[in-house]
Amino acid sequence: MSTAAQRAKQLDLVARLKSAYPELPDAPSPDLLDHERFTAYMKPVHDVGGEPDTPMKYENKGYEYWEHMTYVMCEVLAWRGIWLSEERRRMGNVDVGRAVYLGFPYYGRWLLSVARVLLEKHHIGLTELAERMAEVRQRYAGGLAGKTLAAQPKCVGDGSQVERNRHIVHAMGKGDPQVYAGRADEPKFGVGDVVTVRELPVLFYTRTPEYVRGATGVIAVVAYESPAPEDETWDRPDARPEWFYVVSFTMAELWHGYTGTATDTLRTEIPERWLQPAV
Amino acid sequence: MHDHDHDHDHDRTVKPMVEEITDFEVLEIALRELCIEKGIFTAEEHRRFTEFAEQIGPAPAARLVARAWLDPDFTALALAEPLTASKEVGVDWLEPTGFGTPSDFTAFQILADTPTVHHVIVCALCSCYPRPILGNSPEWYRTPNYRRRLVRHPRQVLSEFGLYLPDDVEVRVQDSNQKNRFMVMPVRPAGTDGWTEDQLTEIVTRDCLIGVALPRVGVTSNVVVDTRPALHPSGE
Repeated sequence: MSTAAQRAKQLDLVARLKSAYPELPDAPSPDLLDHERFTAYMKPVHDVGGEPDTPMKYENKGYEYWEHMTYVMCEVLAWRGIWLSEERRRMGNVDVGRAVYLGFPYYGRWLLSVARVLLEKHHIGLTELAERMAEVRQRYAGGLAGKTLAAQPKCVGDGSQVERNRHIVHAMGKGDPQVYAGRADEPKFGVGDVVTVRELPVLFYTRTPEYVRGATGVIAVVAYESPAPEDETWDRPDARPEWFYVVSFTMAELWHGYTGTATDTLRTEIPERWLQPAV
Repeated sequence: MHDHDHDHDHDRTVKPMVEEITDFEVLEIALRELCIEKGIFTAEEHRRFTEFAEQIGPAPAARLVARAWLDPDFTALALAEPLTASKEVGVDWLEPTGFGTPSDFTAFQILADTPTVHHVIVCALCSCYPRPILGNSPEWYRTPNYRRRLVRHPRQVLSEFGLYLPDDVEVRVQDSNQKNRFMVMPVRPAGTDGWTEDQLTEIVTRDCLIGVALPRVGVTSNVVVDTRPALHPSGE
């Protein structure tokens, strides 16, 4: 059991973890928060494109056994209809918040998203999970030496009553996004159209990066039909597919002070709802 | 066996005398046990996907490029029907589930370089990558650092890989942020006349297929070779 001194030390450690603007007090009154900071706090944390950063040593990394098992578990949960990939991406890449997003290992967030979806969809209970974690830790008390990391399920469940999505049935033999082909309205834009990315307010989730919002580009490809990520990420049953476009932007126009050439470009995929004819 | 002497200069806390199980290892095992007990998935399904994930790698993509260099009809097929071309190098994008590997979707596209257009790929939002034909992404591709900088300073990032492109070449960054997955088809380099498909495959490295390197005679390895070792790579 922890001592009072250990608990105090942990409180000190937590208190040092900051992920808010240091110039503002905690839980500021609303008059202290301007629109730019509101937008910064609300920005989905996976959207890091263009944030200033400096060169670092790039390296490869050997897989931990748990990382490999986590990746497999995530894919198998999608295979068996527990979630769509877009749900996983929101839970693991955005809902975790900025501190965990930048503070946790990459696969640590994949693992958290597994716990999240199982809890939210009522497949497991939180105390049930906590007690199993305690039991697993106890199993390896005294160290790993000589023991393998292994799951030891107490039984094998039936699974026939588990609620699974319909995507795994509909997409079988077709793939995704092919399963949505023919279900959107006629595309509003065509190759060569000049378009501007709308500046809708963003809360909780989008895959339209902030660095293109307000920018003007050219439709390069009329790509595929799919529900927009803002809907697919909650597996909305009434999500209507729309056309997705690969849009080309001139880097020198996209980025203030771009140091490359006048002809460098960037392409990214944007769903129709985010585009309007160029202003 | 664990080697506690790491001959690299990364900061690391002093290793404890006893090798403890980590929080992540505990959570992964707990979740997997509960999933099997509740019938969410079976150990057999988990094993099947594990085996699939262990056999993917960049060889099919390299062969696709080599074959395209030798056969203009195959190049045309690769650009018009990339899933069909994938099958010809042994990759069925619908495997192993029948609707694809869920995180990779099935909207694969091949980006053909020209003498005046050089493609380079990133997923600025996460790390989207064409795993079925290219294997797993390298660690650096997944870093916030690469994702922040490549979309804004591509020539600087490419220079860190030793790739300097002249001003008359358009650098075209492809930010694969939705369901498309991409690989680059680089231009066939000089000095390869009369080469066989096998010979050409050898110089199409994974880095060339992401776009951070160009294929060159005599270069058969990726740019970044340093590898940070795992603590418990095999579960022991």
